[in-house]
Amino acid sequence: MSDFGIVLFTLQVAAISTAIIAPFALLLAAWSWRASGVTRTIVDALGTLPLVMPPTAVGYLLLELLSRQHAIGRALDAMHVDILFTPAAVVIACAVMSFPLMFNAFRVAIDDSNARCFDIARTLGSSRANAFARVTLPLAWRGLAAGLILAWCRAIGEFGATILVAGNIPGRTQTLALAIFDRVQSGQSASALLMYVVAIAFSAVVASELLSRAQRRRQAR
Amino acid sequence: MIELDVQLPLPRFILEVRATLGERVTALVGRSGAGKTSLLESIAGLRPASGRIIIDGVDIAKLPPERRRIGYVPQDVALFPHLDVRGNIRFGSRDETRFTSLAETLELAPLLQRSPSTLSGGERQRVALARALMTAPRLLLLDEPLASVDQPLRERILIFLRRIRDLGVPMIYVTHQTFEALALATSCIVLDEGRVIAHGAPRDVLYEFAAEVDNVFEVAKPRHEPERGITHVSTKSGLELALPHDEVATAIFPLVVRISGEEIVVFGERPTSISSRNVIEGEIVARRERDGSVDLTVATPEAVHVRVTRGAANDLDLVTGRRVWLAMRSRSFRVVG
Repeated sequence: MSDFGIVLFTLQVAAISTAIIAPFALLLAAWSWRASGVTRTIVDALGTLPLVMPPTAVGYLLLELLSRQHAIGRALDAMHVDILFTPAAVVIACAVMSFPLMFNAFRVAIDDSNARCFDIARTLGSSRANAFARVTLPLAWRGLAAGLILAWCRAIGEFGATILVAGNIPGRTQTLALAIFDRVQSGQSASALLMYVVAIAFSAVVASELLSRAQRRRQAR
Repeated sequence: MIELDVQLPLPRFILEVRATLGERVTALVGRSGAGKTSLLESIAGLRPASGRIIIDGVDIAKLPPERRRIGYVPQDVALFPHLDVRGNIRFGSRDETRFTSLAETLELAPLLQRSPSTLSGGERQRVALARALMTAPRLLLLDEPLASVDQPLRERILIFLRRIRDLGVPMIYVTHQTFEALALATSCIVLDEGRVIAHGAPRDVLYEFAAEVDNVFEVAKPRHEPERGITHVSTKSGLELALPHDEVATAIFPLVVRISGEEIVVFGERPTSISSRNVIEGEIVARRERDGSVDLTVATPEAVHVRVTRGAANDLDLVTGRRVWLAMRSRSFRVVG
């Protein structure tokens, strides 16, 4: 696969994994927002866990869960669904590893939205879900978009968990990070790929930062 | 009819309120931290409290906020910053007739396209009131709506609040200002450490518990004398007052005016030569000792509350049953709205 093909595959996988985790991260962040005490601590810990675990440990855990030694793996096998060492495994590894970044960004964005406005929306006849959709989300959208970008960036750079559950199969599961590793291992130059990574990461981080600043400005008004 | 039986544990005390309110405006007064806002939030369903809240025979205590039909305007008004004024007002209902009527009553038509961030304090209050009223609430809760607005604006918003009162929407109204309660409310509750320590007619309750002595009169029948700089007005009970013409020349009557009891001068005999345009004869019907001062209630066509020093009260022998003359400068009257 060409360098551009690797870049395209990586961007696609990162985009799919970001899209998959977004609703879950939003639900968990919303739950954390309205929860209090121990419940909130537990919800926050669950959402942040993959961030503090070594990526290889997360990869190993996924490998165990998806293998035939585990009920989930056996169930998938019974349905003739192959996950391990396929592009789907790359998506899963990216999703799990980027989830905490998205969750935490969402949580901050929602926390910083005006809870008073949410309450008032409820006195005006909106259910919790309706008030969240009509008031909280529009107030938090810049922070939420920043979280999406951060998670997407994290997925692009994912390495440790991916190599364990998806391997490093050129043309099938090889992402940018894996390709750079592969070339360095075999003594080839990885500078072209590196330029892609720097360009993508830089643009994404700048966009994320601009959105976060806009969100903070809105709250200050 | 509104029956409250609310219990809510707060960090410093347990809020326990049992009261039956009339159908008009109830002023909720008390010191900061007495539990006033917590009570409003409990009634609105934003704080889970135990007990019963019965409005028109329906117990709403177990209902979620969206099914209570309680309009709530918090102190910070909490307009939705991502919606324009029209979007804010129509958030809870799209009833076009009601929208048009409220926009007219609260004079909001010129503001409809504006963003909340461009509105003044008074405009924000009016938008929040309209937004709360759009859902046709069975009860309107107002948390110090005039706390963050300056005096001229306060008078103007009070006019709008009186219009809302006249629409027949029952209100519970938190205030620190005695004159606001006197000008708007038909009953008054004093809350202290989460408990009701007084409940009754505003005039009686506030005279007992308020730190300041305020007199509020609703006046009508203006007779303007611009050449003398005076407008003569009358209260319903027949008290004749002279007000400064320039301040009330364009006012819409009936008008509510106030005068602090500390600005009224008491004479033991009829003053013969005095610049005050209001000299009223009356009889002291109540005397109450305060810290270093004495509060008197003087029966004239309206009961007038006066505060004098203890020295003055002793020197003039201001005791119950004594006839006195009260002098009120026209300029001491403030237009409430």
